[in-house]
Amino acid sequence: MSALRLATRSVLRSRQLAAPWRGSFRGYAEVPSDRIRLNLTLPHQSIYKDVDVVQVNLPATTGDLGVLANHVPTVEQLRPGVIDVVEESGATKQFFVSGGFATVQPGSLLSINAIEAFPVEDFSPEAIRAQLAEAQKNATSGSEIDQVEAKIELEVLEALAAVAK
Amino acid sequence: MSSLRASVRPVVQAAKAASYRSRAPANAYATLREIESRLKSIKNIEKITNTMKIVASTKLSRAQRAMFDSRAYGETSDEIFKKAETVPATEGNKLIIVSSSDKGLCGGIHSQISKAVRARLALEPDADLVILGDKAKIQLARTYASNIVLSFNQIGKEIPTFAEAQSIADQIFKLGKKYDSIEIFYNRFKSGISFEPTSVPAFTEESLQTSPNFSAYDIEEDLAQDLTEFALANAIFWALAEGHACEQSARRSAMDNASKNAGDMIGRYSILYNRTRQAVITNELVDIITGASSLQ
Repeated sequence: MSALRLATRSVLRSRQLAAPWRGSFRGYAEVPSDRIRLNLTLPHQSIYKDVDVVQVNLPATTGDLGVLANHVPTVEQLRPGVIDVVEESGATKQFFVSGGFATVQPGSLLSINAIEAFPVEDFSPEAIRAQLAEAQKNATSGSEIDQVEAKIELEVLEALAAVAK
Repeated sequence: MSSLRASVRPVVQAAKAASYRSRAPANAYATLREIESRLKSIKNIEKITNTMKIVASTKLSRAQRAMFDSRAYGETSDEIFKKAETVPATEGNKLIIVSSSDKGLCGGIHSQISKAVRARLALEPDADLVILGDKAKIQLARTYASNIVLSFNQIGKEIPTFAEAQSIADQIFKLGKKYDSIEIFYNRFKSGISFEPTSVPAFTEESLQTSPNFSAYDIEEDLAQDLTEFALANAIFWALAEGHACEQSARRSAMDNASKNAGDMIGRYSILYNRTRQAVITNELVDIITGASSLQ
């Protein structure tokens, strides 16, 4: 009887410990010295959450950069392009992002907030071509806001067309 | 002799009662109709609140999933401010963003968040207000109407999208006023049955650049502004998603209570209805029997 109570109490306590606080209990266990801890999050989905990876290549507005362990802390704005993630298993995953921000934190932690990111395989070239034609039409007609939006769309679609096969 | 008296007495009593009842037999019927219609309407209400409870529970499960995703997203966005140890400015123009919604019947959601905002405004009466959702606007406009600079509606119908949060942030920047500190008030989801009005700061360019640990970062000059604008949109998105989940859970428990209360009332009114119905029948019988025996 007392053993049962002890068991339930320890279960409760361990559940309380595991409950996340607002302060983001980010496993303070050290990141292995040759890995980088990646958080790749979208508003409606977390692609990578506290996953140790080997290398991440980012398409930044200042140019492409590859992030390895112990990279200097930096903040980069992302342009439409492909993020390569080299996982621990050796496999490389590619995601096309339309934009966002990537921050390398001190302690080999890489935080990426992207608005949209999808695996490159998921895109269909026909749909890209159709949307490109549409955007090119809108870029030269319509109100100023519509034209600017169409130009942004063109930028994303052209980067996408270069990547999708 | 006694039997004669016994037979006379009930007749006299019945006659007395009959004269009393003849004054108001219609009353008893009207009361019966009233009870019947109340009973019918309470049964309808119980059906409606029950349906609303079921709808709220389904929406809650989806809203909770969206909330966890938005938490991961918002926390990732917050990382840099946490690592740089940014603190909000204490002076200057202040903006308070209140995250609420348009619909009611969700317990204390809107009144609690409005109470928290009013408490803050008592300390900083010059702060500007941006209100997301009609319910909070109605409550805050009563006392702080002059502080409201912007208000949005059509909030809370579905799970909030990032596009909504982005356009809200965009409108705030279009106001053109430079704010030194921004705070977002929202209801934080503690559990399926409890929530807590909370506030988080959304840091501005200056507070980021003057953070103690900012020099650790290799960052281009003009990126700080873009970063803080992006972070504001992320924070608004997070607040909207959590508020949405809190609202669905509060609506579910409110409708659950309402259905239970309606069920109780149905029980009470059914008993009352049956008793009244039987009383009416008994009165009619007494009338008939009195009439019949008086003829004899």
